[in-house]
Amino acid sequence: MPALGLVLLALVGMTLLLTGLPAYAVLIFAAVLGAGIGVVSGTIPMALLGTVSTRLFNLFESDLLQALPLYVLMGALLNRLTVAPAVVRTLLGLLPRRPGTPVVAGLGLGALLAPMSGSVGASVLALARAVEPSLRAAGLPTPMRHASIAVASTLGVVIPPSLVLILLGDAMLSAHTFAVNATGRMDRVINTQDVLRAAMIPAALFLLLSLAVGWYSANRRGGGALEMANYARPKWSDMLLTLATVAFLVLLLGGVATGYIFAVEGAAAGAVLLMAVGLLTRQVKASMLGDMLTESMATTGALFAPLLAATTFTLVLRLLGTDKLIEHWVAALPGGDLAATGAVLGAIFIAAFVLDAFEIIFVAVPILIPSLLIRVPDAAWVSSLVLLTLQASFLLPPVGYALIMTRGVLGAHVPPLTFAKALLPFLLAQALVLMLTLCYPRLVHVLEPADAQSRGPSAPLRQEEIEDRLQRMLPNLAAPGIPPIDVPPLPPDLTPK
Amino acid sequence: MLGCRLDRALSRVLGVFKWLALPIGLLLFLQWPLREYVHAYSREANDLGQWMFALYVAASVTSATRAGTHLATDAFARRYRPSTRRLLTRICNLVALAPWALAIVVASTPLIVRSLAQLERFPETGNPGYFVIKLAVWVLAVGMLAGIILDFCGARGGDRQ
Repeated sequence: MPALGLVLLALVGMTLLLTGLPAYAVLIFAAVLGAGIGVVSGTIPMALLGTVSTRLFNLFESDLLQALPLYVLMGALLNRLTVAPAVVRTLLGLLPRRPGTPVVAGLGLGALLAPMSGSVGASVLALARAVEPSLRAAGLPTPMRHASIAVASTLGVVIPPSLVLILLGDAMLSAHTFAVNATGRMDRVINTQDVLRAAMIPAALFLLLSLAVGWYSANRRGGGALEMANYARPKWSDMLLTLATVAFLVLLLGGVATGYIFAVEGAAAGAVLLMAVGLLTRQVKASMLGDMLTESMATTGALFAPLLAATTFTLVLRLLGTDKLIEHWVAALPGGDLAATGAVLGAIFIAAFVLDAFEIIFVAVPILIPSLLIRVPDAAWVSSLVLLTLQASFLLPPVGYALIMTRGVLGAHVPPLTFAKALLPFLLAQALVLMLTLCYPRLVHVLEPADAQSRGPSAPLRQEEIEDRLQRMLPNLAAPGIPPIDVPPLPPDLTPK
Repeated sequence: MLGCRLDRALSRVLGVFKWLALPIGLLLFLQWPLREYVHAYSREANDLGQWMFALYVAASVTSATRAGTHLATDAFARRYRPSTRRLLTRICNLVALAPWALAIVVASTPLIVRSLAQLERFPETGNPGYFVIKLAVWVLAVGMLAGIILDFCGARGGDRQ
């Protein structure tokens, strides 16, 4: 029956595309169908299906998932505060008066705010409202405006401390734990901080390249400097607000990346601070609060429902044995670790044509990544590659998710080929960063603390290191008079050369 | 008539639950200064935030259904007639979501009843309220079933919490 799981995966993709039903409903539909066939055929014992409720309890008591409603609340507050227009006005005022300036301002705003918004769709909405008028005023052609907003909306996928990164951190932790247990390796299991740190250099590279590409392309195609007179001069309050936003995000990112505060606490601090600013400046009034909380709750439900559904769906796939089949396939892939990684990333890339980042994290990552991590031990590297692949797939014409959202929100029709041409420089920048990260795994380890670097994931421990760790893990047994633990020697195939 | 009453009741319940977002944010923020500077009550803040979070997200799924905010890929389906899309939704409700929600209620009830009877506490800290996390699974499943019933009654409430 393992092949049934693959049929169900294909069915999910087709049903999502053809019916337009919510992703969570489609996943539950596939799970119910798979479970039904499994029970009738005798493959799945009925009693095991009951464990789904235990899985739901685990979701409800997950510390990391608490960040989800907080990020959504931050997004709702940002939409009501004047942060986005103030940042755009400040950047437009500070940068040279060229047609490329609004593109750079848009990407800058995307880099600042997209990590805090709920999803690519939410980012498109916020950017369309705050940046599109400036892009239009600069005389940029419609395809270039669409491309800038689409690219800026995906920055939240790779720039920490976004919700996508936090949720991927959780999924990677589970996948890596599974792989470490399956192989018996002594690797330190990856956590959210590791995923955030690993993503920073590739994300910074992509942002810098995008800024350069956007500046150059817009200046080459834009309508000239005269139309820049349409811009309002930034006020001091705009500049102060921008400065405060940047300072807060840098502190938040630094605190989370160094482990001084947990990601959830960072998100909570952001939500509380924005709420306080909104109430004090009267931009958020008591009368608006009810509507804002209704919107936040509905968005939280939209993000949480696929997680519930994916939990059920992946349980059914495991009961059908599909995970073992995929594990076997990944292990048998020819061409070394790089080829295996490329093949799995290719599967995620294809999945991203029909699934949003959250659905991929909840469905594709638990199925594909444990098998890959059994073979490729560098979980930080794999997590960065997954993020970059997700971002690339959202931007790939003609059906990339960010492109569809941008077309839907901005309305104006742009022929697919023209849109693709406007996107091409950004896509090349994306491909370059992806290839660099794929070929130079050290890129994602640059910001790791020294002790983490010294414990490289694929380096087997020496006999004395294992003994030392065991003694430290059991300090009470190291008391005077109690002999040290006797550790049996490593088998020859695991002994470091 | 029954649909209208259920609709109003659901709106009221969701209207109360949505306010939980504020104490959740505050409690999870406070656990950092409590841990770093006060050196006390951080776990209490976390546990309190945890069961509020469980109730909040459990109810949020029904809220998303009523507001129509669930994530969907409608590149093709946007061309369908509204009646076709409504039919697809009802079929999905009937063959997938309702059986799933019922199965969750059946599978989780013994665990929830036991937890409620003991007023189960958080295993690591001993703080009260752990049973609320388990109860949240009921909130989730019952909320979904109520939403499905309302959809069939034609009294889907929309965003009126």
